[in-house]
Amino acid sequence: MKRLNKLIFLSLLVSIGLALSVLESLIPLPITIPGAKLGLSNMVILVTLVIFGFKEAIVVGILKSIVLVLITGSISSLMYSLSGAILSCIIMAIVYKFFTNIFSLIGVSIFGAVAHNFAQVSVAAIMMYNARIYSYLPILLLTSLFTGYFVGLSSIYISKNLKKNLKSYSR
Amino acid sequence: MTKGDKILIIFIIIVSLVSLGFVKKGAIGYKEKYVSIQVNGKEYKKIIFDNAVIGKTIPIETEYGYNLIEIGDGKVRVIEADCPDKIDVLQGYISSPGELIVCLPNKLVVEIKGIEETREIDHISH
Repeated sequence: MKRLNKLIFLSLLVSIGLALSVLESLIPLPITIPGAKLGLSNMVILVTLVIFGFKEAIVVGILKSIVLVLITGSISSLMYSLSGAILSCIIMAIVYKFFTNIFSLIGVSIFGAVAHNFAQVSVAAIMMYNARIYSYLPILLLTSLFTGYFVGLSSIYISKNLKKNLKSYSR
Repeated sequence: MTKGDKILIIFIIIVSLVSLGFVKKGAIGYKEKYVSIQVNGKEYKKIIFDNAVIGKTIPIETEYGYNLIEIGDGKVRVIEADCPDKIDVLQGYISSPGELIVCLPNKLVVEIKGIEETREIDHISH
């Protein structure tokens, strides 16, 4: 039963991530930089990482990216979101596992957002055969600070609450 | 929020501002500039700014999609696109060398490039 419960909870997390991704695409941003977005679904990956662990988090991240393509219908964006999700998940897992005494979840989330942007810009540069795309990176880093901060802040509250409720299912 | 977080935030702000400065610094020191339109990494068209091309629109139709580009007085923008998010249209004009408009779904890059002053010597006779 424990296994089934965990499975159901993970698929719920994937669907929450999907809903957040769709929702954030409806929110207009004051700045028009390609690739800049709120990254609300990163919250789901971070919470999964805290409660279940690295393996589950990367599964949720990859599943979310693949199913999101079915919703938005743009296959070209699969490469960007997949690379971003995988790299940010790995970086966040490393920071969360080894540097928890230095960084809180806010720091972990900022690391994740920076890694996500870096991966996306790199994939864009490779796909367009143009290294000048990296000139977007400084602005994207600044935006990822804001988004990473708020995602981290909300993840702290979510994971604090969920940890209490899901103590029996985790690990 | 721990001390490490604050240091991280300050560090990223400094790094991004410094690299932003480098990007902007690369934009000065050019005598002339031109628009380079690239599709899928290959140069599709090259337009040198002069009075004749002001107000001209250039349709770009490739297998990846359709974009309409307008050339202004030393600046350029995308006015129409068939991509879903229209980020390239919203971005507006770009004018200084090194700036670029990217349309990821259509694999289009509109870039302003500078022509460096030629310092090479054409010929030496002894």
